[in-house]
Amino acid sequence: MSTETAYRQQQRGPASSSPSGHNPQPAWLIVTLREVMVKAKDRGFAISTLVTLVLIVAGVVFNAYMSTRGEEYTVAVSSNAGESVVALAHEVGQDDDGNTAFETIATVSDDAALEQVRTEGADAALIRGGDGTWTLTGKNEVPRGLSSGLGAALEAYALESNAAAAGTTSEQLLRGSTLEESLLEGNAENQAVADVAGFAFSFLFYMASIIFGMAIANSVVEEKQNRVVEILATAIPVRQLLYGKVLGNTILAMIQLALYGGAALLALNLTDTADIIGSIIPASGWFMVFFLFGFLILAAMWAVLGSLASRAEDLTSSSTPVMALIFAALGAGLFASGQLLVIASYVPVVSSVAMPIRMLNSEVALWEPILSLVLALAAAVALLHLGEKIYRRAVMQGGGALTLRKAMKLEQ
Amino acid sequence: MLQVQNLTRRFGENTAVDDVSFTVPSGKMTGFVGANGAGKTTTMRMIMGVLTAQAGEVLVDGRPVTANDRATFGYMPEERGLYPKQPILDQLVYLGQLHRMSQSDARSRAQELLERFQLGDRGKDKLESLSLGNQQRVQIAASLLHRPSVLILDEPFSGLDPVAVDSMVELLREHTAQGVPVLFSSHQLDLVDRLCDNLVVLQKGRLVASGTGDELRATAPRRHRLTVSPDAGWVREETGVRVIDVAGRDAVVELDNDDDAQRLLAAAMTRGSVHEFSRIRPSLSEIYRGVSQ
Repeated sequence: MSTETAYRQQQRGPASSSPSGHNPQPAWLIVTLREVMVKAKDRGFAISTLVTLVLIVAGVVFNAYMSTRGEEYTVAVSSNAGESVVALAHEVGQDDDGNTAFETIATVSDDAALEQVRTEGADAALIRGGDGTWTLTGKNEVPRGLSSGLGAALEAYALESNAAAAGTTSEQLLRGSTLEESLLEGNAENQAVADVAGFAFSFLFYMASIIFGMAIANSVVEEKQNRVVEILATAIPVRQLLYGKVLGNTILAMIQLALYGGAALLALNLTDTADIIGSIIPASGWFMVFFLFGFLILAAMWAVLGSLASRAEDLTSSSTPVMALIFAALGAGLFASGQLLVIASYVPVVSSVAMPIRMLNSEVALWEPILSLVLALAAAVALLHLGEKIYRRAVMQGGGALTLRKAMKLEQ
Repeated sequence: MLQVQNLTRRFGENTAVDDVSFTVPSGKMTGFVGANGAGKTTTMRMIMGVLTAQAGEVLVDGRPVTANDRATFGYMPEERGLYPKQPILDQLVYLGQLHRMSQSDARSRAQELLERFQLGDRGKDKLESLSLGNQQRVQIAASLLHRPSVLILDEPFSGLDPVAVDSMVELLREHTAQGVPVLFSSHQLDLVDRLCDNLVVLQKGRLVASGTGDELRATAPRRHRLTVSPDAGWVREETGVRVIDVAGRDAVVELDNDDDAQRLLAAAMTRGSVHEFSRIRPSLSEIYRGVSQ
């Protein structure tokens, strides 16, 4: 046994022992943990996450406040009929959502009523002209809620009085005119929620893909640019380095997504608007799974982009294809419908947004998301495999930025 | 012992390293010299497995090197750089962990090395906040962190001040004393002279010389210095003597063997007084200059 072998054995035990030696952690896990820790300690990242959280909670609270906030209108009238119309509008407003109120200011003359408007004592004046037509006069505008409320009340009032004059009742006149609306799939209220949730899915995916995708690319190019990768590559297989990075950033993206989603749900609960979210919970669960798969595909692409670049600045120009894919996912979430949405829901990456949205909008057979996930998984595996090949070749290459074609031709 | 056997690497038409073989003995420092573009870095990258050799192999203790062996090597690449925006200690611990050290072991070893380079109190600083010389010291610490079994250092002394060179030399000597083979490239020939037991010389991708100092000196031309009075000009006329330099009473000559030397000395004594007649022992840097001309 040579002196050197003796030294090595004294340092790390028999040469035949497993490479794990003292440290039982696999290399990819060490890389993953570092990616997470570096990002978690990054002040910019912490602040932007916090700001987004605050914005989400504020958005939900603001929305809840807007939907429960009552409108209150004061209307100056100069006649008993006017007073009745306003009272009727008030009644309907209270019945409807319980927070639209109409208050009457009775005045002695039309001019006095207009004067009230002019001095801002009233929002508008409701005046009946000599020929029986009604005029609603505002100072420089008539609030939409006010005109629609009073308009409906006036119609009801006129119908009631005209029916009485004709010796009948409004109910009799309107019999058979009720139109019930129904949907074969879902319901109207869910549709609105689905639209909002679809927008949220698209946007969350878009944001995470860019923030964490860029993080992967930058982390790869940083190591390439500084040649740390040469030291790393002598210590661990380059594949493990790639997997560690992809996994670390995927975990970060999922944690951030869960944080944002959790904050939104919590805020919805606290503001008593939680009853509408029941319908989006299952789709949200699917979204998390689709998000994971779609993100893995993008992560592999971003890692390849990072390995092809020679400086961080190269990324802006070389990221176009990935950005196009991310925009396609965003676009599918925001605009696609019908057959196009169905197709989109099977295209990997785009399906991450499209399939959950389909599931929000309509009934989707269970096999559909599963098939779509299988496709996405296959694409993720294929791309990680391909990405690894390119990464391994390109990341050791100094000099200028590489094209994909050049990188494939490189010998290690 | 590290052996390089018939390593070859081409980049397109250009053969960067052409059938190069040499040995880095255990416990010895081997200097790796050659002009820019001679193939030193490419050879070192192939030893480290960062580049694949198109022919030839690298042996450790007589068997082909494996990825696990390489993970125990200490490597300092030509182009320096760790993570500029990360605290020094954190990144050293990370590298140590990747080299199979436990976190606590990596931490204490990193701290110990930083202290030896007078950087003990800067562990929490970001690398980029250090001067270039100090960044270089951190780079050295990174290569020595995991108590390497073999050291491959590409220009380890460039950018170091004399004090840092001394601490580096001391550290390297500690490693060779424990039997670690050390291969380092350098353009600083005075350092090569001072440090190396062995020399490997590359020129345009080919090996032009390798061996211990004595082996190389044995193959170097025999040169003698002769100081006579009144004048040394006559040596030009002597057969079997190649004159390198004559100035007044001094001459430097190249001879083929000892017989020629004795004949020259006898001739000198018949022509006047001989003040000095000595064999010139070439330094490694002179040998390098000789073979790479």
